[in-house]
Amino acid sequence: MKYFKQSLSALLVSSSLISGYVCADINISGFGSIVAGKTLGTVDDPLNPGQKRDEILTADFYDVGQYNNDFSFKPETMFALQFVADMGEKLKVTGQLVAKGTDDFSPEFDWYYLTYQATDELTLMAGRRNIPMYYFSEFSEVGYAYPWMRPPSNLYWWQVTQFNGLTAMYDFTLGDYSNTVSFFYGNEYSNDNKEMNYYDKLYGGTARAVNEFWTDILGINWNLSGDFFDVRFVYFQNDRDRDTIAQDGSVTVMTPFSQTFLGFGGTVDLAQFTILFDMNMVEYDDAHGTEYPTYLISLVYNMDEFHPYLSYSKADHKRSKRVVKDDYEEHYLMSYGIRYDFHPSASIKLQYDKFVEQGHEATGWAYHGDSDTISIGVDFIF
Amino acid sequence: MCKQHHKKQLSLAIGALLAGMLTTYSASAEIAVIVNTANSSTLDKTAIERIFMGKMKKFPNGQVALPMNAAKGMGSRDEFNKAVIGRSSSQVNAYWSKLVFTGKGSMPKELSSDAEMISTISSNQGAIGYINSSSVTDAVKVIAKF
Repeated sequence: MKYFKQSLSALLVSSSLISGYVCADINISGFGSIVAGKTLGTVDDPLNPGQKRDEILTADFYDVGQYNNDFSFKPETMFALQFVADMGEKLKVTGQLVAKGTDDFSPEFDWYYLTYQATDELTLMAGRRNIPMYYFSEFSEVGYAYPWMRPPSNLYWWQVTQFNGLTAMYDFTLGDYSNTVSFFYGNEYSNDNKEMNYYDKLYGGTARAVNEFWTDILGINWNLSGDFFDVRFVYFQNDRDRDTIAQDGSVTVMTPFSQTFLGFGGTVDLAQFTILFDMNMVEYDDAHGTEYPTYLISLVYNMDEFHPYLSYSKADHKRSKRVVKDDYEEHYLMSYGIRYDFHPSASIKLQYDKFVEQGHEATGWAYHGDSDTISIGVDFIF
Repeated sequence: MCKQHHKKQLSLAIGALLAGMLTTYSASAEIAVIVNTANSSTLDKTAIERIFMGKMKKFPNGQVALPMNAAKGMGSRDEFNKAVIGRSSSQVNAYWSKLVFTGKGSMPKELSSDAEMISTISSNQGAIGYINSSSVTDAVKVIAKF
């Protein structure tokens, strides 16, 4: 009995110690966007000549969020809760629980990573995060963070946007300029990839699933900011593999290749104006010599809480090792809109998008089709 | 049905935009930037801005800087952001949201009154904040006024 009491008290003491240690300081914040929109007309279906269909704007390629003639808030409406648990001793864990209209609002942990503050300058992160591809990629879903309804979707079109891996981030100052250099390494095994499944069906496929693998993602991201500008340079490379699983379970394996991604972009504040830009080049070492040069230029006029803007983004697709080098995918997106910050933590936006298809129709590369789209939304943070 | 819904949403948005345009700015009060009385640092406007944007993490003497914001919606926050950072409070919040939700920074802590700002700063050596000039007491040191 005495022994029991002793062990019981030992258990109580140890459990109270454990709970004292485990009981982390949890900070909850979040963001979201309630957006609705529709396309305004019909178009000759580029993949089915002679047939008309609704104009379609793919507002979110990764989640296949598309507008057609029906006014809908499913393609882009989303809500995210961020939990940051500070465990002390320089260690934190972060999770983002995200519910999207494209997934019928079923919540999923899209981000989860550990952060270790090794020194005042060096931060180590391990877990699931967004790949810092384009300038706006890491926060592409935080609508409150940028002027437009969305970063131009004809550039943010990749079937992989996240990875599991390590990021080492180093902060330093050069004169009056703040620098953050990140090195990142990781993999993404995207089984049953939503965007690739969509393309398979679009071209008449009946695959049960398309599995997309981006492995040995290795890169550097350098951010430089001063009083009136913030620019960043990115380079990464990775291996690409794709397995298409037919209904009978047979697997078609795509010839693997590796890709490189190069980007330079940022924001510059000039008096009442903000200029946002991004220039990117994706290259494959495949048999075609595939290249995707893309760029974005946008101008915002800031007058107190009102921010009217223009944005032009262009995407091209070339095959440098083929006889025909340039007649593949090509399009641009011209967007006009206004953001009004009606509340310290919320803004309302109204945007019109003109998507112009310039792809080669005869070979099936003009698969988006022209579209005119109007969307209205509220972005918020808390 | 669908079209009507669409029109209603649009007119609501336009109404909100017009209402906002008619709102006028209230007269501004002088803002005092304050630190702990033991803090001997001298900071110019750019240094204060960099501390509040998370770009400068230490005072010149090596002490870790703990910036304190007035709560969202407080007049002093809007005045400070306009005068020192040169942006609206919404623009500053937008800047922070991209850092907070990518794990690259934590927004300054928020305090809900000038009195709370004074008591927090007088008991934390590295703290820096701002209040209405008329609220200043001996418990804190004023390093700049805007």
